Amino acid sequence: MKFQRDHVSALREGALASAPLLIGIVPWGIVAGVAMVSAGLTQVQAVAMSVLVFAGSAQLAVLPLLIAKAPLWVMCATALVVNLRYVIYSAVLAPHFEHLSRPWRALLSYITVDGIFALFVGKYGPDEAKPHKHWFFLGGSLVMWTGWQLASWVGIFAGELIPREWSLEFSATLALIAVLMPLLFDRAAVCAALAAGGVALIAAKWPLNVGLLAAIAAGVVVGLAVARFARPNGGEGAR
Amino acid sequence: MTGEAWYPWALIAGMALVAFFTRAVFILPGSHLRLPATAERVLRYAPAAALMAIIVPELAFTQNAVSISMENPRLVAGLVAFALAAATRSILATIVGGMVVLMLVRSLAG
Repeated sequence: MKFQRDHVSALREGALASAPLLIGIVPWGIVAGVAMVSAGLTQVQAVAMSVLVFAGSAQLAVLPLLIAKAPLWVMCATALVVNLRYVIYSAVLAPHFEHLSRPWRALLSYITVDGIFALFVGKYGPDEAKPHKHWFFLGGSLVMWTGWQLASWVGIFAGELIPREWSLEFSATLALIAVLMPLLFDRAAVCAALAAGGVALIAAKWPLNVGLLAAIAAGVVVGLAVARFARPNGGEGAR
Repeated sequence: MTGEAWYPWALIAGMALVAFFTRAVFILPGSHLRLPATAERVLRYAPAAALMAIIVPELAFTQNAVSISMENPRLVAGLVAFALAAATRSILATIVGGMVVLMLVRSLAG
């Protein structure tokens, strides 16, 4: 059964390649676990969120809004915007996975994370006909999924042992800063972030937390404007 | 609060749908859909804007008022964390460094 062995070796290769990424995901998962419980979720709800949502930055982004009792639609809209990067990943990954069955495509969609996307795209070109590449993706993603869930559960169940005056919930904000950094890939992205931060400060007291959405919109407009301005030949060649 | 027990569950369900939708939107249909260039450009900047819009008020507000000063421990710790994140690209270093600075500034102020 040569076929089977190739699956297993691609799975193992993906798992090994992703292992170094665990160093980043474990502290982040613990922080998310602590933050979910200190935002008022029960332990069961926190576990459900970590398994069903499985999107660390969206989870951490929504928790301050949950504490501030923001409306449901504002929280979901915020999660959507933070997760928009996955739409790009989805578009890039789609041609790689289009030959697979629907359950496979659903599984690989659910389990997509930033680090494995980067590894996978770095390893396989868009038209590369490697029949086992989805096993590589699955192997890496399973390692990340398991690491994230275990780390979250440590935070959820052991977080209450940590004294409140340590303000461990602040580490959620620090984790977001670390996650933000790779997204500041050019001057336009930096300007987008600065504009969003400024408007968020001004609009923080607007009702229903819509100030947050206004800040994001302002950031996107500034980012697009700077990107266009920085490129004298206009929109062509935008990549 | 007793009447609002469903609220976190609704949030979890909504976020689960959002998280799956954003990841599956092109993978699951399986056809050769292409992302329009304009949409791609908007999608490039939105996540950075969203994260910054969440981070800045968390750092700048103390007791419901904006405090831009060296005596605001969260702001100082946050700025150090930005520098650490830029220099090391490490989540661990950013969290640990930021927390240490938070404690230091607090103990100096207290």
